[in-house]
Amino acid sequence: MAETNGKLRYVPTTCPYCGVGCGLNLVVNDGKLVGVEPLKRSPINEGKLCPKGVSCWEFVQSPDRLTKPLIKKNGKFEEASWDEALGLVASKFREISDKFGPKSLGFQVSCRTPNEECYALQKLARVAFKTNNIDNCARICHGPSVAGLSLSFGSGAATNPFEDLANTDLIFMIGANSIEAHPLAGRRILQAKKAGKTLIVCDPRYTPTARLADHYVRYNPSTNIALINSIMYWIIKEDLHDKEFIAKRTKGFEDMRKVVENYADVESITGVPTERVKEIARMYASAKNAVIIYCLGITEFTTGTDNVRSLGNLSMLTGNIGRPGVGVNPLRGQNNVQGACDMGAYPNVFSGYQKCEDPAARKRMEELWGVTGLASDYGVTLTEQITQCGDPIKAMYIFALNPVVSYPNSNHVMRSLEKLDFLVVQDLFMTETAQYADVVLPGASFAEKDGTFTSAERRVNRIRKAVQTPGDSKEDWQIFVDLAHKLGLNGFDFNSPEDIWDDMRRVTPSMAGIPYSRMEKPESVHWPCPTLEHPGTPILHREKFSAADGLGTFFGLEYRPPAEVADAEYPFTLMTGRLIFHYHTRTQTGRAKMLHHEVPEGYVQINKEDAARLKIQDGEKIKLRSRRGEAESLARVTDEVGPGVLMMAMHFADASANMLTNDALDPLSKMPELKHCAVSVEKITGVQ
Amino acid sequence: MAAKGDMVYAWTTSPDIAKVAECGGAVTGLLKFALENNIVDGVLAVKKGVDLYDAVPTFITDPADLAETAGSLHCGTLLLAKLIKKYLNGAQDQRIAVTVKGCDAMGIYELAKRNQINLDNLLLIGVNCGGSVSPVSARKMIREKFGIDPDDVVKEEIDKGQFIVVTKDGQHKGISMDELEDEGFGRRSNCRRCKMKIPRQADLACGNWGVIGDKAGKATFVEVCSEKGADLLSRAAKAGAVATAPANPKGIEIRGKVEGAMLKLGDKWRARYFGELGEGKERLQKMMEDSSRCTKCYACIDNCPICYCVECSTKKPYLVPPGVLPVPFMFHLIRYAHVADSCVNCGQCEENCPMEIANSLYMHALQTDMEKMFGHTPGVDMDLPVLAIVEEKAERERLFATGSDQIFNVFK
Repeated sequence: MAETNGKLRYVPTTCPYCGVGCGLNLVVNDGKLVGVEPLKRSPINEGKLCPKGVSCWEFVQSPDRLTKPLIKKNGKFEEASWDEALGLVASKFREISDKFGPKSLGFQVSCRTPNEECYALQKLARVAFKTNNIDNCARICHGPSVAGLSLSFGSGAATNPFEDLANTDLIFMIGANSIEAHPLAGRRILQAKKAGKTLIVCDPRYTPTARLADHYVRYNPSTNIALINSIMYWIIKEDLHDKEFIAKRTKGFEDMRKVVENYADVESITGVPTERVKEIARMYASAKNAVIIYCLGITEFTTGTDNVRSLGNLSMLTGNIGRPGVGVNPLRGQNNVQGACDMGAYPNVFSGYQKCEDPAARKRMEELWGVTGLASDYGVTLTEQITQCGDPIKAMYIFALNPVVSYPNSNHVMRSLEKLDFLVVQDLFMTETAQYADVVLPGASFAEKDGTFTSAERRVNRIRKAVQTPGDSKEDWQIFVDLAHKLGLNGFDFNSPEDIWDDMRRVTPSMAGIPYSRMEKPESVHWPCPTLEHPGTPILHREKFSAADGLGTFFGLEYRPPAEVADAEYPFTLMTGRLIFHYHTRTQTGRAKMLHHEVPEGYVQINKEDAARLKIQDGEKIKLRSRRGEAESLARVTDEVGPGVLMMAMHFADASANMLTNDALDPLSKMPELKHCAVSVEKITGVQ
Repeated sequence: MAAKGDMVYAWTTSPDIAKVAECGGAVTGLLKFALENNIVDGVLAVKKGVDLYDAVPTFITDPADLAETAGSLHCGTLLLAKLIKKYLNGAQDQRIAVTVKGCDAMGIYELAKRNQINLDNLLLIGVNCGGSVSPVSARKMIREKFGIDPDDVVKEEIDKGQFIVVTKDGQHKGISMDELEDEGFGRRSNCRRCKMKIPRQADLACGNWGVIGDKAGKATFVEVCSEKGADLLSRAAKAGAVATAPANPKGIEIRGKVEGAMLKLGDKWRARYFGELGEGKERLQKMMEDSSRCTKCYACIDNCPICYCVECSTKKPYLVPPGVLPVPFMFHLIRYAHVADSCVNCGQCEENCPMEIANSLYMHALQTDMEKMFGHTPGVDMDLPVLAIVEEKAERERLFATGSDQIFNVFK
């Protein structure tokens, strides 16, 4: 409970930002947050934090917080009671559902919210409206990891924990800038390097992580498959592959081998000389234990799932999977992106990846939830829901997301939201997206509720309530419980997040063995953990793969160019990414003084040669245009990106990369191509 | 009546405290007496969190809660000094008793010099400290070197050069610190270099070194270091809250020997660490390379007991351009220039650094050099350091008016 008396009360909890899951102490004086202090007992970060972590308390008590439910009347928001607001939400959703059926609703869940709330909302959507139109924003970060790793290994999660980097001999990083995006995972990489392990970083951009590398490989954006296929070609050519592992534990090798036959020389595609590819291939294949770390530089493409599977191929080719010091590890971008998927806030699975299409799984869930008629179809994914606004989706519930800034093609998002009959946004602040809502519900921050986040290493970390929610705002799980009661649902008699967690455990075999009592110490437990006696599973695929037949699968995957490539009209390739100083659309980090001091506005990195040719100076405001929109931003002239390539951070609404980005989708995972689109660059005459 | 300079054995008369405390429980007994008798308004001490590897600071106003702070936790690597400034208003508006290790005491003095802590409102109960072990490293060490599940350990101590653990089934195991530290385990690197083992700048300096004979393990050795300390001990003894007896002269000698041995060990580690760091350009090169990984979390500043400026120079855009990685070396130069004369080697800047920069080593090396040059020893008394004799606001105005960032008139 959040006490209101006394000074210097430490509340151990988990950082609300990236997927590393760092422990920290919130400090409370007389019921108010006054700071963050190190939690040195945490095995994940040993008390150390990044710029975002140390300042994560600041936004909580911002005067901008929403404190009352709001209902839009005649185009203006008016304060309302909870009874009125939730009554309206329940009746509207019921009315639209009755009239247009389950396909007329969309539910969108943010990966910054605790497991308990993700679980409660997907249960509500599925039980009340028999819809699978529920998705979370993993779709636009690691959806391809879930899809790709599931296809390759039978489980869509990271294989090895961060700490395990101490056991490796070589780290192969591709499309990952951990020092900025996952700083305390970056620390593990740094520690490994200090211990003499080899670090290879492949990235189109010379990032702070690339600076640490023993071997930095710059390759052209979106050419991952060509590069990895070529590495595999040379491993096979030089007979460095692990034939025993391939024979005993995998299938599909021949399919893959035939495809990579054509990838001996890929310099014209990737920009990487063949000799360099050979060198990298030899190093990776010769290391006793080699681990692959990747991030959104692999996933955020129309080839995202294939990119991920290519890394699966590479690891299996050399037998680098299923023991300490090896594996394939996606670094998850948000605190609970792993958990939001685990909880079944996903259009084709219940919690624990139990498939909705499987009649046995559905029957089991119907019995355990005490309902009938759960939907079996593959529901509509996150950005497809946006496209379906108006037809057939009439009502949408957006929980703690800001699509207007964070989804690709912002103009499309705004036009689509306008087509809805009814939009509910539940959030902390009046975001760019909340402006489009009919009802705005004020929720709670990570510091104001109990719950759990599941980090990128599948470790379930506790968050603990430190202070009360401001004004009339409510803990989000409580909002869902109240709404469920308004809808007359059974199975929502929860009095605490722990009650919800236990309901989830009851229906989820892979997490049944992790009650709150096992999470008291910061070591906690890594799922799968089926029973109370089970020690948890830090390393996956040890004896056999998680697939039904126990085998890993190779896929022969051809390189495909991105959906939109630079041309005469739009001659630059725009990549997007993250800065260490901000998180997503800055609704939280923009309110931390120190972070705002470091980077108060967005910028676009442009190569020195291009800048010279276009007579653009460092710090000058420039205009970028794509086929979908335009944005103005400050030029940062650099050689961190190559000629013809630009890089913008995704964080800034007023210099928004997503005005430009392409919403073309990866056919397998429905990931939009956030990291590759074609743009033009113009000077803004007279403006400096 | 106790007087400054006295050395006594003391122990609590409360059976409740004796049950939970170590070595006679004099510290807990004295804190309880101070709180119950309105000598202080609150007590800042350390309690066990989720287990004995988790040291949590706590501010206590109800004497009944003091029992939870009894005993010592060698895996606690906290610095209480900055917490008093940050969260307890620098003890400006209330009287606080604080249990302090050497680094806590030194940090408190440095903040007091800078008007960030009101020393008059503090009652410092010093405790001997041979060093502390970071909790995650301690657990790894117990698992790998002791072959024991760290969750089975019910007590740990550092005694006679050994790290000793006791398990729940009563098993004792000790391994020499030298052996552990040669393999990269053991105390934090700043603790190895530390030479503030008995904090005599506190009001009372307490510990178990030198408690011999029938009082061994049953009493606390107390050295009275100030009039305030003498007053507390006298009143507590008079009221019967603690019992005292003169320290055994042989015990005093042994205590001196233990301290001497620890100081010698500190010198050995300094020679080793500073030696490896090299000198001149070689040292500078190492510092520049190491600090180039900085990602500007400001943990070194936030946790430093010397840093207190509202307007930190590292946030002046003309000195350190904001939002730029790698962080220009000027960021670190500013810290070295502003802090090094007063660094107390508390280690916080290093152990909280996410990029594994050996901040504390560099600053401590600079400090020891400057101590040789200027003869100023930080953390032991209220003597002003070279850079603290200016008042920040006035000095900033002067600098602004002269258009300079050079602090000229600091040498007395």
